Amino acid sequence: MIEILNNFFNGLGAVLAIGPIAGIIAGVCVGIFFGAIPGISAIMAIAIILPLTFYVDPVIGITMLLAVYKAGIYGGSISAILINTPGAAASFLTAQDGHALTKAGKAGKALGMALYASVTGEALATLVLIFVAAPISIISLQAGPIEKVFLLIFAFTVVGSMTGESISRGILSCCIGMLFAMVGMSSITGATRFSFGVPELMSGFTFLPLLIGVLVMPEVIDAIKKRKTPHYDLILEKSPNPDDNRVTWKEYRSVFGTMLKSTGIGTFIGALPGLGSSAAAFLAYGEAKRTSRKPETFGKGSLHGIAAAESANNAVCGSSMIPMLTLSIPGDDVTALLMGAFLIHGITPGPTIFYEHTDVIYAIFAGFLITDIFLLIIARAGFSFWTKVASIQRYYIFPCVTVFAIAGAFTTNQDLYDVLILICFTVFGYGMRLIGLNPAAFIIGFILTPLLEQNLDQAVAIVGKDYGMILASPFAWIFTALSAFSVFSAMRMKKKEKKKVAAPSAPERSAS
Amino acid sequence: MNRRKIDVVFSSILIIASLVILSSDKLVEGGVETDLGSMLLPRIVAVFIIIFSAMIGVPSLLNLIRKTPLRGLEQIDTEGFLGIGIYIAILAAYWLALPHLGFLVATPFAMFGVAILLEGRNWPVMAAVSLVIPLVVDYGSSIFLHVFLPPWTLS
Repeated sequence: MIEILNNFFNGLGAVLAIGPIAGIIAGVCVGIFFGAIPGISAIMAIAIILPLTFYVDPVIGITMLLAVYKAGIYGGSISAILINTPGAAASFLTAQDGHALTKAGKAGKALGMALYASVTGEALATLVLIFVAAPISIISLQAGPIEKVFLLIFAFTVVGSMTGESISRGILSCCIGMLFAMVGMSSITGATRFSFGVPELMSGFTFLPLLIGVLVMPEVIDAIKKRKTPHYDLILEKSPNPDDNRVTWKEYRSVFGTMLKSTGIGTFIGALPGLGSSAAAFLAYGEAKRTSRKPETFGKGSLHGIAAAESANNAVCGSSMIPMLTLSIPGDDVTALLMGAFLIHGITPGPTIFYEHTDVIYAIFAGFLITDIFLLIIARAGFSFWTKVASIQRYYIFPCVTVFAIAGAFTTNQDLYDVLILICFTVFGYGMRLIGLNPAAFIIGFILTPLLEQNLDQAVAIVGKDYGMILASPFAWIFTALSAFSVFSAMRMKKKEKKKVAAPSAPERSAS
Repeated sequence: MNRRKIDVVFSSILIIASLVILSSDKLVEGGVETDLGSMLLPRIVAVFIIIFSAMIGVPSLLNLIRKTPLRGLEQIDTEGFLGIGIYIAILAAYWLALPHLGFLVATPFAMFGVAILLEGRNWPVMAAVSLVIPLVVDYGSSIFLHVFLPPWTLS
């Protein structure tokens, strides 16, 4: 514990310099800006900023990306509250209560509560990350190649079964990602696979253009598809009663218990691969409503509702880093992207990160907490400004996003072939969405396959011809059981969802 | 658009591709001999792709044959698809033009095209944005990132 604190304060010293602070401020501004625009998510902002961080110190680059992530998640609540259009799926519930308050002339109060809940949730989850990640990494350090193979299979199964529209579509997305990762030269044997004599394919698909193509550009395409829908300006109307424009200390205290509970739920959900911030927000909101004295106010302008949804979905930001940093398993698309950023900066996420890059990792943790402070200051100081900025017409935003994406793809290797990869994967990524395949599962399959192949090769080298030895490890059985359990629970969840969807149609049928 | 038809076609393509991976030895070139070989993992993945593609394709095919009514997600809304086609065409033309016209010349046209596609009609501001952003990106990438975006090569 003392060692963790010691490392943390060293990291704090490293991050309290002009470079990292400037990066955090820029990241917070970019994150709020992109997050607040309906139709643009935090992931788009991170992917666009990512190439800019290639050439700076990892502490500056990664803290900047994390600032974009955190601020982007909060930014999603601005459009949710003001025009009932969530910038991110996780802000759906914030939209219900927040917009009800906006209609009652209390937009300032709703925005304030969303901000305080976001910052509280994020800060507490970051503390959990700081104090839990290193001890977990000590345990995971004991895992050898055999255990890692089963751990990775577990990760594929969980992510595939939890993220897709159906289990088969989720796992298929992951498998396709794995297949794309195997294009090019094998790092184990040096053989060239699936290159079909095309020299450019011999080095495989460049990560960044593929990532931007699959995750970011389909959002631009979606905006183009919906280009006929009218544009709404975000307007922050101030009430003559000052108490309607702010959250009082009494109100904050009254919802603090809800925030704590929701942060706990968000932290737990975030630490599990595949569930993400939307699931956390829905679970926390449901729990807050269930235990509330006035459940009827939820959805009609309840501060508890905003606090629950926002603190839970922001708590996911910190805790979703736990499996990535300790086990090399990104739980969702954003952490997959951040894992890519770590790899680009020469830092391989995994248990050894705490020993090989102690300074960097604790500086990043300290940066996480400092981001919360800047998010609080910057967002609170400029509610009116951010609402104006977020009202910029989409025909100014999306051409810029297109150019940033293309320039970002080009800067990776300074090769126009990467721009072609970007365009091809843009079409592919949009196609995936159309047929219900999951881009996050695809990216996770793409990122983790080289790790799987490497560990599988080492595992076989250890057991020799006695392949039965692979199953001798108790971890093999534990992770196999967990994989089976995750598929089983996903099946149950999907069944329940189907029943829920079918339920309202019964009375409708009887009425007709 | 009926997603079941796409499911059937997509699953069929994936199954055929996976069968090729399972049966062909020409997909790998060179490399050293190991216990596992270079194609073990691709072939394991191919088996899973066949299983899960069949799990998607077969029910869709059966539903198509039985003509059961489409459920929510099985109906793809094609409104706005023309715009998507134009956008992809702009990207492809931009990619072809970049090595010849260079970033600073090709980008304003691409940006302006995308802005018009997005129903933008504020011509002076759109033109200004389309001219200023490429300049800023080109300057920023050359000065700060030391990356030189493609230059004009026609003359």
